[in-house]
Amino acid sequence: MVRNRARHDPRTEPAAEALRLVKVTKSYGTAENAVTALEGVTLGLARGTFTAVMGPSGSGKSTLLQCAAGLERPDAGIVRVDGTELTGAGEAELTRFRRGRVGFVFQQYNLLETLTVAQNTVLPLKLAGRRVDRRRAIEILTAVGLGDRLGHRPDQLSGGQRQRVAIARALVAEPRVIFADEPTGALDTRSARDVLALLREAVRVHRRTVVMVTHDPVAASWADSVLFLADGRLAGRMDAPTADAVAERLAHLGDDAPVGV
Amino acid sequence: MLVLALRSVRQRPGRFLATLLSAFLGAAIVMAFNSLHDTAGAPGVDAVSSETLRTAAGVVGGYGTLLVFFAVASALTVNVRQRAAELELLRCSGATPGQLRRMVVGEALAVALVGTAAAVLPAVLGGRLLVELFQDTGQVAASVDHSFGTVALSSGVFVTPAASAGAALLALRRVTRGRRRTVRRRPVFAWAALTAGAVAASSTFAFSPRDEMLMAFPAQGAILLSVGFALMAPRLLTGVLGRLALGGASGWLAVRNLRRRAGELSGILMALILFTAVSTATLTMQAVESDEVAASGLVKSVDAKNLETLNYTVVGIIVVFVCVMLVNSLYAATTYRGREFGQQRLAGATPGQVLGVVGVEGLVLTVAGLLFGTLAALAGIVPFTVVRSDAVLPGQLAGVWTAVAAVGAAATVGTSLFTARRVLRTPAVRAVGVAA
Repeated sequence: MVRNRARHDPRTEPAAEALRLVKVTKSYGTAENAVTALEGVTLGLARGTFTAVMGPSGSGKSTLLQCAAGLERPDAGIVRVDGTELTGAGEAELTRFRRGRVGFVFQQYNLLETLTVAQNTVLPLKLAGRRVDRRRAIEILTAVGLGDRLGHRPDQLSGGQRQRVAIARALVAEPRVIFADEPTGALDTRSARDVLALLREAVRVHRRTVVMVTHDPVAASWADSVLFLADGRLAGRMDAPTADAVAERLAHLGDDAPVGV
Repeated sequence: MLVLALRSVRQRPGRFLATLLSAFLGAAIVMAFNSLHDTAGAPGVDAVSSETLRTAAGVVGGYGTLLVFFAVASALTVNVRQRAAELELLRCSGATPGQLRRMVVGEALAVALVGTAAAVLPAVLGGRLLVELFQDTGQVAASVDHSFGTVALSSGVFVTPAASAGAALLALRRVTRGRRRTVRRRPVFAWAALTAGAVAASSTFAFSPRDEMLMAFPAQGAILLSVGFALMAPRLLTGVLGRLALGGASGWLAVRNLRRRAGELSGILMALILFTAVSTATLTMQAVESDEVAASGLVKSVDAKNLETLNYTVVGIIVVFVCVMLVNSLYAATTYRGREFGQQRLAGATPGQVLGVVGVEGLVLTVAGLLFGTLAALAGIVPFTVVRSDAVLPGQLAGVWTAVAAVGAAATVGTSLFTARRVLRTPAVRAVGVAA
């Protein structure tokens, strides 16, 4: 299932390029009324970077994230996470590919209601059959400010707290790339700032690679660079973004010619 | 509101399928048996035949009404719970609680009437079959003709919709008001049922082996005990789960899910306990009785034959209904978990692991249901066999129990896995509601 036979082991040194997409194309629907969500997207992200993906609704940014994260198979093109090409067909194979390589932070948190904060955090390790280091999990939960909430259930937490559990869960499994889909979309500005700070810390302190889809220029300004997407194609890139510059660029996205990155 | 109710039924007939099926089955059984009243009341029917017909109609008709009520209530509770968001939306748009009540009850009535109308023909055929059955065994004179008249029709037209409306009100109350109050009242009922069951079962010893009433007390005892256990289902489940530690990620997750959902799942456990106890106890005791009569070389009296027919019919009806209830509530409950499954998959669970979780949950429920159901059944069977045949455990028990356990396990685990497989067809990202 994985063509590059280098078996994934969290202890081996990660590849220099965390994520590489080559001419990735994805469309939905049947032949006659197919909607093309991604059209030949090529990009590469270095290890230890924080990248925001921006674009108007329907630009394909969520599809990009799902293809890159191995949640969906692209129709054509190559997806390589941490140097290993995604080739599996069935869901079980995709799941095994994602384990240890990919972590998620979603707008709707996606924590399991039946599990406590601590249990939610170690769930990916349990499912992958990996050793559960409780001390490490508690350490990370303490670092995100939830050291005193270990036994709480998600429904006893605020939105910001839930999102911090989700980030802790993504960190505990030590994935190569953390994908965040509108992680601040349901949060107030203060909680959003906490969450963005944690994501940046994951890059700076833990040397993770973070890819964040967002429509909020302020959130995007926390990233090292911003990729713009329009009509399923890359439409530019901005390094060291500021919220104003991102908003300005977003407003004129239609003017730009498609560029490869 | 009634217009809204009708439109809501027409727009989503699928959602009402379970309710419709329960109402249809219930109406068919109630009408088929009540048509025996019509048959008995016809001119020229002799006293013995009339008595047989009326007893059957009375016993099964009563049971039937109760079962319609419970089956429709369970289907509607699931239905109303699934539509909590829709009802909330209506409330926000200015619907008063009274209007909501009228809508849900209206829907239930509409579905019940459709179910009853569809059940008339099967009920006529079923009633005819019943009379023929009684004639074959000589319990009813061959000259008696089946008639389907006012008693049968009115029982269908009144009992089913009335039971449905009552069930709808109960379902609505359960969902909108939470279950705090009923939970507090339950232990009293549960202990009362357990005590009455124990008394009934032990009073078996007061009878002589040849007494015609011998089977009544242990049977009632087993049923009452199972009702008591069923009422205690949430607490029994939590007790079992407190001591349970299963290996593997699927087992770990399953136990935690069950612990949190013990309250929701108690309905399913309740059905399983009742099913196991009633069918095991009745079938085993009837088998022992028949074998004893055969061994003694006597010919069964009409009364004994009536009792046998009734036992088998009642068990048959209960089995069908409990299976419908089990399958329906499990199907609905599992469909409802699409989001949760999606979250598990996004956290790194393969579809196989999700199915493993569902399978383990079903298995734990089955084992708990069988355990307490068997306990209740044994409490009735043991006194009966001790008095009737000087043995403690009848040889017939093993076969009956195996069959009952197989049906229960197949219904529980099978429905859960089948539904979960269907639910898993939706991609995980879409299942958790993150729009692509």
